[in-house]
Amino acid sequence: MARCLHRSTLLLLLLAASAISRATDWELSLDTRLVASDAYPSFMDGGLGTVRFGSDDSGIKLGRARLAVTQPLGQLFSAHLDASVFDDKDRSALGVTEAYLLFRPYPRAGYRFRLKAGGFYPPVSLENRSSGWESPYTLSYSAINSWLAVEVRTLGVEGTLDWLGSRTGHAFDLGITGGVFGWNDRAGVMIATSGFVLTDRQTPLFGRLGQPGVPPLNGAEPFMEIDHRAGAYLGVEARYFDRAVLRVLRYDNRGDPSAPDTVSHVLTWETRFTSAGLRIEAEHGWTAIVQWLGGDTTIAPPSLTLNWPFQSTFGLLSKRFGRSTLSARYDRFAVQTNAPGVYGAQDGHAWTAAYMFEANAHWRFALEWVRVTSSSENREEQGGPPLANETQWQLAIRYALGSSIR
Amino acid sequence: MRPACPATLLVRVQTPDGHALPGAVVTIRPLEGAARHAAPVHALMDQVNRSFAPDVLVIPVGSTVEFPNSDSVSHQIYSFSPAKRFQLPLYRGKPYPPTHFDQPGVVTLGCNIHDEMLAYLLVTDASWYGRTNEAGSWSAEVPHGRYRVELWHPRLRDNEAELGRELTVGDADRAELTLRLSRPLQPAPLTDRPHSWDY
Repeated sequence: MARCLHRSTLLLLLLAASAISRATDWELSLDTRLVASDAYPSFMDGGLGTVRFGSDDSGIKLGRARLAVTQPLGQLFSAHLDASVFDDKDRSALGVTEAYLLFRPYPRAGYRFRLKAGGFYPPVSLENRSSGWESPYTLSYSAINSWLAVEVRTLGVEGTLDWLGSRTGHAFDLGITGGVFGWNDRAGVMIATSGFVLTDRQTPLFGRLGQPGVPPLNGAEPFMEIDHRAGAYLGVEARYFDRAVLRVLRYDNRGDPSAPDTVSHVLTWETRFTSAGLRIEAEHGWTAIVQWLGGDTTIAPPSLTLNWPFQSTFGLLSKRFGRSTLSARYDRFAVQTNAPGVYGAQDGHAWTAAYMFEANAHWRFALEWVRVTSSSENREEQGGPPLANETQWQLAIRYALGSSIR
Repeated sequence: MRPACPATLLVRVQTPDGHALPGAVVTIRPLEGAARHAAPVHALMDQVNRSFAPDVLVIPVGSTVEFPNSDSVSHQIYSFSPAKRFQLPLYRGKPYPPTHFDQPGVVTLGCNIHDEMLAYLLVTDASWYGRTNEAGSWSAEVPHGRYRVELWHPRLRDNEAELGRELTVGDADRAELTLRLSRPLQPAPLTDRPHSWDY
């Protein structure tokens, strides 16, 4: 742990020093955790625990060491890089969670257009709104957004057109987003072989899941292009002033489930989902979020088609009191299988409660409790109990530095 | 023969439930005699903590406005309002010449980098103008005569023309007018949300 921390801090500092020029906006942060957990080992350790830290991880752990750089390129373009170290369980400790180029022309005649190219999150989450795609409400993301963090990313282009009604005398803004991407042909492997989890570990672009040779994930790489078919998504967004956001998105990686990789022979997972979410903010620091996601993932090895439908929903309620934020979330999640004898069914729910205190722009303290109750065929197959309760406590201290952190 | 000394015209603005409405813009135009335009001014619209300050600025036609950017981050100020379309990049420590506003109307300001930033410039050809104080009132010294008093607020749901009133400031040295909205204002922007959050 100490060695990993040392190495990662040094790497980030080196990166920071080389990348920073006068016009660059940058952020550097270190988030450490004191963990107490009775959970099964996490998916990164080859286990089927449903939270980030298993009972073996109790003690002091690295939460995240992060460097983010935004470099304006002329007036209308900017380059964004978000690099992090979460642990030393991937090929390299340091990984890039997002890296993209943004084209941002000035809005005209009530319309605003944006174009993104690179690797980034599709616009699904209403919870992960802080820098670094973190949640300002809880340390652990909801099951839905944890899944996105683990194995969904756009590696491609995304265009967004917004009608800025609230700036032309109306109460609403409306937006439409479309994305075309590749290198996400293995999204779904986590859902089917491990299930939903509640984590804040974001798989770096071209990173891996679990450890090679250790079932069930065997070091699977979610960011692979196997069938040479582009995936796509289309989403709409409506806003009522700055009080409410409604987002609906349909995602389809358009994978060919019978196409194996020529080198590794792993199959394409055809993954499709629809997500819908509503976030309402009111006076006195109140925020409420509800989000739903439902879809399925399919593989078709010769003479067989295996399909796992999955759904998850959460409701979050949060209140800010000055520098403090108190939040509670309830998650439900389920995975089904379509054929007898095929493992992967999971059913569970989770309660999360978190208190965050922003002492100033540099220091943040957080205390979080997560309790997950789940049944899992995969866990039973590994010799675990059909029904399990897992509890994880985290005390987090984060220090941040940056060009706009004063 | 009217006395030459002016009278105080006090305008009170109230919400539909009778509470004082601070920050409402009041304009006064004479209905008789030659039109008198308020003199142009040089005003400031600053950028502080990723917000515009003030949130509403009233200026006479022909005025100039400076956007100094007191933030450590860059901004890209824009307006696509018909009264003034402009784009103004504000980089750290790089001053820009003031912008000239020569058409009356509402100019909605935004930032192309920070989507949540919002402010309004009201460019007016009225003779007298101002914003109501915390008690919801504002007053001007006007000569005796007949006037039209109008009200504007960025979150108004009422029809502006229907809220306006005409009145005669007679021989007394003081006249009062209360304007009450018939519909509640639209919700105010949330101000306590951390700026680092996505809008």
